[in-house]
Amino acid sequence: MFGYATRKLLELVLTLLLVSLAVFLVLRLLPGDPAQLVLGVNASPESLARLRSEMGLNKPVHFQYLSWLKGLFTGDMGDSIFYDRGVGILILSRLGVTIPLTLLATLFSIVIALPLGIFAATRHREPGDFGVVALSQLGISVPAFWLGILALLLFSVKLNLLPAGGFVEWGVNPLGAIKSLVLPVFTLSVIQSAALTRMTRSSALEVLSQGYVTAARGRGLTEIRVLSKHVLSNSLISIITLIGLQVGQLLAGTVIVETVFHLPGLGRLLILAVEQRDLQLVQGIVTILVGAIITINYLVDLAYGILDPRIRLR
Amino acid sequence: MSYRLKTVLLSSIIVFILIQSPLAAGAAEPRYGGTLRVALPTEPPGLDPTTRTAAVIDRVLYNNVFQGLVRINGEGEVVPSLASNWEISGGGSVYTFYLREGVRFHNGEELTAEDVEFTFNRAKSEAITIPHPEYFAPIEKISTPNPTTVRIELSGPNSVFLFNLARGDSVILPKGVENISSHPVGTGPFEFVSWKRGSSLTLTRFEGYYDKKLPYLDKVIFEFIGDVNARITSLKSGSIDAIAYLSSPENAISLKEIPSLKVLQGVTTWEVILAMNNSRKPFTNHLVRKAINYALDREEIIEGATFGFGEPIGSLMSPTNPNYLDLSWLYPHDPVRARKLLEEAGYPDGFKATLTLPASYELSLRSGKIIADQVSKVGIELEIEKISWAQWLQRVFTNAQYDLTIIGHSEAFDISIYANPDYYFKYDNERLRQVLERAERETDEKTRAQLYSTAQWIIGEDVPSAYLFSAPSLPAMRKEVMNWWKDYPIPAVDVTEVWINDQ
Repeated sequence: MFGYATRKLLELVLTLLLVSLAVFLVLRLLPGDPAQLVLGVNASPESLARLRSEMGLNKPVHFQYLSWLKGLFTGDMGDSIFYDRGVGILILSRLGVTIPLTLLATLFSIVIALPLGIFAATRHREPGDFGVVALSQLGISVPAFWLGILALLLFSVKLNLLPAGGFVEWGVNPLGAIKSLVLPVFTLSVIQSAALTRMTRSSALEVLSQGYVTAARGRGLTEIRVLSKHVLSNSLISIITLIGLQVGQLLAGTVIVETVFHLPGLGRLLILAVEQRDLQLVQGIVTILVGAIITINYLVDLAYGILDPRIRLR
Repeated sequence: MSYRLKTVLLSSIIVFILIQSPLAAGAAEPRYGGTLRVALPTEPPGLDPTTRTAAVIDRVLYNNVFQGLVRINGEGEVVPSLASNWEISGGGSVYTFYLREGVRFHNGEELTAEDVEFTFNRAKSEAITIPHPEYFAPIEKISTPNPTTVRIELSGPNSVFLFNLARGDSVILPKGVENISSHPVGTGPFEFVSWKRGSSLTLTRFEGYYDKKLPYLDKVIFEFIGDVNARITSLKSGSIDAIAYLSSPENAISLKEIPSLKVLQGVTTWEVILAMNNSRKPFTNHLVRKAINYALDREEIIEGATFGFGEPIGSLMSPTNPNYLDLSWLYPHDPVRARKLLEEAGYPDGFKATLTLPASYELSLRSGKIIADQVSKVGIELEIEKISWAQWLQRVFTNAQYDLTIIGHSEAFDISIYANPDYYFKYDNERLRQVLERAERETDEKTRAQLYSTAQWIIGEDVPSAYLFSAPSLPAMRKEVMNWWKDYPIPAVDVTEVWINDQ
């Protein structure tokens, strides 16, 4: 198990380095002059030239990358031009929104999807199954921003139960913070759970047809025990794979949801950074996001090893 | 329709809207207290209006937190602010400002002539990078004969100097200040409390403000809500009190229908123009440019792009500017004449050209489609090409690689961009340069106004660009929010005199 974990860890570091280099190069290829975006269209050419050199944009690209990488290892991700603050601090300040949002959304989508999926599988080709399939099809097709706006119109404008967006900080009012996350989490988990339900259903169906399930039933186990002990645990590999794969999609979803509910999270910070050509900030956020996705997939890989010891040997 | 008549009509519409509200009719006396929450679509890039040019910095801070020697009021006039009065001598090259007494900065220090000297020396120093060094370049010498008098000697007579001092770029800072980008310290009626990056910025009433009657509000919170639907939902649900700008005019129509809300309609410094590359054929030919102008139906463009809320213009001057001359009648919609001019110019069958549009600007996109259709009727075939804002800045603005484009010019009093032959219009007109140079030196107000009229006339007639409309301001708010600026003659959401009429 230990060798498997280290091998995967090495892969992780290498991927991260490659991704950061790719992101760095792509950002340098983007059209648009960051200095012009700061100083405006009518700025004098001398001022533009000065700001460019202050930003270090006149140095060679490999030099810029290496100094950025050096900073990264010493914990300094550079400064955001837009906010005139350290990138690290800015990212940290947004995690209070994005981490609870993604974790809760994942949790709720699992809570919704697993029972629904298994329920549908046990009622294969019965009305209950069709209902679940239809619902999940709907969930997959609905765009997140549209569902978000509908939820807002109903719960904030019509019923006035929940805030119409914005975020109350955890330190100020924890209950307010939870309230401002209810609709965003709902929106994200509905969409996340749709795909997960289908995956659970189809892998549970496959497991249900296996001989050991029939055997378990034959041994006189209760249906609940058959489902939880044999069906669920044997479907977990494909379900966890999907959760790992969905992380990227989930983070993309937070960008949309944070915009609709104007939450000050990482996704909106990224959009602003790209619009403003705040290169250090984009670089920092993308590296963190990619790092998160890769780490989660690393954990998923480790989980395979735990769930199915045969995988470790490969 | 003349501008004055329009103003009268517009104001009567506003009065009508106000009268409709029973609350407003009874309450003439401003009330004190309350918190105002204002939605803005974008967040300021730092809070230093002197080193950054983003309009949104001024929207949040201009006159609320930071004040200059003079300021622009809601009617677009330059009026006293920190200087209670001033004298212009030496044939227009010496400005003597007399500071208001009893003015304090938010850090408790009293405003003196030394602060003014510090501010302008800072702007001229190499230590900081400012977007417009040209505003301060004419300053030769600053002296402070006593703590309330500042004497500024210019290199020559300069009539735009006073207007430049009223811009957000020229606000007065306390001597030795640092870090205003994250903690602004000014003399305004509101002081800075906090900036939650990514969500909001809070100002609170400054007890030491020199005018004891102001401000009316206790607290102002600017909320940065990027998505237009989110802004509107927030206003409808009451979690904000006002939207400073409705970027999509169609929403003004639906918000007006809601009894608890009101939408004001005014003009801005945002002039939307069809810019032509005067160094590229066939736009080098003034007959072609005029033909395009005759081919345009401004009313249809304004109706289609702004739902009728824009104001037609005929040169690059905002209707909010006191020097404004209405030339929107100069090229009426006349396709027959357009065809004739094209024939005269040697294009009897028209020509093909590319219209490059910045994809993020809805007003440009909408106007572009309508214009392409209108000019096609006189034989000009436009191919529309959409590019990102950053690409637009590089290709069109910096490198002038374009035929035609549509863009809003937002800076106040920016007609002199036509005097710069290197600007992306690539327009070179010696006479215009002379007129504008003379206007900038002219000290007599009447003569200067005439010179600016001439300048407007020159570009209005020679049409280096086609001038389409001034974008509407359209602030929307709940009915109880009073005294909001109807027009935006400078990018500012000045809430100094705003009050809330809550019972």
